[in-house]
Amino acid sequence: MDAVTGLVYPVAGLLGLYAFVSLASLVWEGIDRKLVARMQRRIGPPILQPLYDFLKLSSKETIIPSTANYMFRAAPVLALATAIALLAYTPVGFTPILASKGDVIVFIYLLTLISFFKMLGAISSGNPYAKIGAAREATVMVSREPAMMLAIFTIMWRIGKLGVPKPFSMGVFYVHNIWEIGTPMSFVGAVILLYVFCVWLASEIEVGFFNIPDAEEEIAEGLLVEYSGRYLALLKLTNAMKAFISASLVVAIFFPWGISGYFNLTGLSANVADLLFHTLKVFALLFVVQSVFRAVTGRLKITQAVDFLWKNVFLASLVGSLLIAMEVIM
Amino acid sequence: MTEKVEYWVKIPFGPIHPGLEEPEKFILTLDGERIVDVDVKLGYNLRGIQWIALRRNYIQIMYLAERMCGICSFSHNHTYTRAVEEAGGIEVPERAEYIRVIIGELERIHSHLLNLGVLAHDIGYDTLLHLTWLAREKVMDTLEAVSGNRVNYSMVTIGGVRRDIDEKKRKIILDMIKYYHEVFPQIEEAFLHDPTIEARFRDTAVISKRVALEQGAVGPTGRGSGIRDDARWSERLGVYPDLGIKPVMPQDVTGERPRGDVFDRMAVRIGELWESLELIEHALDGMPDGKIKAFPKDNVLYAKLRLMVDGEGIGRYEAPRGELVHYVRGKKGSDKPLRWKPREPTFPNLFSVAKGVIGDQVADFVVAVASIDPCLSCTDRVAVIQDGKKKILTEKDLLKESIRKTREINPDIKGDPTPVGSSCSR
Repeated sequence: MDAVTGLVYPVAGLLGLYAFVSLASLVWEGIDRKLVARMQRRIGPPILQPLYDFLKLSSKETIIPSTANYMFRAAPVLALATAIALLAYTPVGFTPILASKGDVIVFIYLLTLISFFKMLGAISSGNPYAKIGAAREATVMVSREPAMMLAIFTIMWRIGKLGVPKPFSMGVFYVHNIWEIGTPMSFVGAVILLYVFCVWLASEIEVGFFNIPDAEEEIAEGLLVEYSGRYLALLKLTNAMKAFISASLVVAIFFPWGISGYFNLTGLSANVADLLFHTLKVFALLFVVQSVFRAVTGRLKITQAVDFLWKNVFLASLVGSLLIAMEVIM
Repeated sequence: MTEKVEYWVKIPFGPIHPGLEEPEKFILTLDGERIVDVDVKLGYNLRGIQWIALRRNYIQIMYLAERMCGICSFSHNHTYTRAVEEAGGIEVPERAEYIRVIIGELERIHSHLLNLGVLAHDIGYDTLLHLTWLAREKVMDTLEAVSGNRVNYSMVTIGGVRRDIDEKKRKIILDMIKYYHEVFPQIEEAFLHDPTIEARFRDTAVISKRVALEQGAVGPTGRGSGIRDDARWSERLGVYPDLGIKPVMPQDVTGERPRGDVFDRMAVRIGELWESLELIEHALDGMPDGKIKAFPKDNVLYAKLRLMVDGEGIGRYEAPRGELVHYVRGKKGSDKPLRWKPREPTFPNLFSVAKGVIGDQVADFVVAVASIDPCLSCTDRVAVIQDGKKKILTEKDLLKESIRKTREINPDIKGDPTPVGSSCSR
């Protein structure tokens, strides 16, 4: 009995979640491409095109460059494995499967680990463009994460003050949310942090201003330049899942409300209803941050992006965090 | 004292690269993201045009010159005919000069719109690319309605033009002008006042006036660096002085002193779009009646050229990319030129931009190359995969398709479009 609740249920839940999220994230990519195409007055690909691409790439020949070492093959698999493990800590409409005290650190760690594996694979390919891409990815990564970390730790700490069973867990957003803090200052702070998280999300999924590591016209897809066939398929799936997971974090912090309460659902059906509603919210957020953002902007230079992330976003994060934490500190 | 170690790497950029439109190779020496040195390698698109030309007569070379480049096909043809006209002392009727102006400026509009789209694409701003190229379709359709072709117009012949612009075609062009008076303000707004564009293009790949003069930069590249030069204006070419031509400088568009960066080159192009529209309007208004050709038939022209061309002639014209020069030397009694040498504006511009981009980042390189608008070569066949079957369209199929489209736009067109003979075997 204990083994069943402790092991079988989480594993079954994780597998189900993985199947759903990989499908949903690929479908979102198709919707995104279609929407952007309509904004650009094109017809655009079919909505299931990323899925077809994935299936086709999986059956294609994989070319390994002679300069590559074993990390080139290992990196895509490790990146996808990390993304799947990350799902167990992702708030997707309900408390994460493996939620425990302080698991926000695991979440951030695994999220950056995906980028890290991608960089490792790119460096191991021996291609100069991939190396430039990896250097750019590392530069953007160290610039974008501090703003997000400062904001998320402040929010979790402040929500913890309202009284939650497991502080610093990804489940706290479903106990109290950021808008329940209540003071006008914290409301302003929350709006500023929403801006911080939207920019962070855009830089995490590398669209618009932040399409720097993968710049197609400059360094020929950068990190992905040498990948082909099955490994490319794995990396594409990882990227799509990463977009979904990063957006899930923002949705859980700022818009955590579920719908199962309104229909008096309990147990599994409540989770499924909340997951579907959460997916809709993720799509809506990604529409603003990904589709609209990449339709109305171009790519920045790496120096300009780093400037923007530190001088604008990190500063906003600092101000927002102070506003939220103000009345507890004083 | 610690010794400073510099890790410079050399990476090849091209010949095949997603950011380059034509095969050309650069070897970049990089210090991290900074470009230390650029080495230009040319010759990946060599087709032996001059060698081919020496085996053809004056009239056949017109077709060859037109096919050197897909974008400035009119410019090459026009400049070549000017060179032959100078060598043979042939007078061109005034109406023909006006029609040449109109077609030349239509071509300039389509070329500049294409380049603006490419620039936007190179910074990942695909929305602007698609919208600019959507606007470009109008001028392409107009060119097809006027001349019968979207790309190789074949409007010019030695001693005049082949087709007249009648009342109906005039109306089509006026429609286009009306359309662009609505669209150009939007394009201007998008390109001159967008924060992303400004962040990427300002102070990128700065070609100082000195470097531009040293390397002989021409066209929008030279004007963007502050060289007041335009072959149409400085040469007092044809009827251009009557139409009020003057070189467009960056300060006319942006209101600031020229800095010689990518933004200024782009601003010059936007200013020239407006100027081209004005020139077309003036040319349509002031077009006199009369002949359009000095010699009514091609066989007469052929016989006359044999007798008249003796000595050398130089044709100059401001192509969309800069000053284009064709040199022709002929001998009395021969129907072939002894020497034909075109000099394209991309050549000096490429070297000046290679100098200008040193010290910038890798990200700027592709924008810098696109900002001088390097030439594209056109292909002669297309593979279509439909329902799992692959079909290669040859020259004949493409010709058939283009005839069909022309009939669709202009149903009561006269004349037999089937090609006569097989002068050019591939």
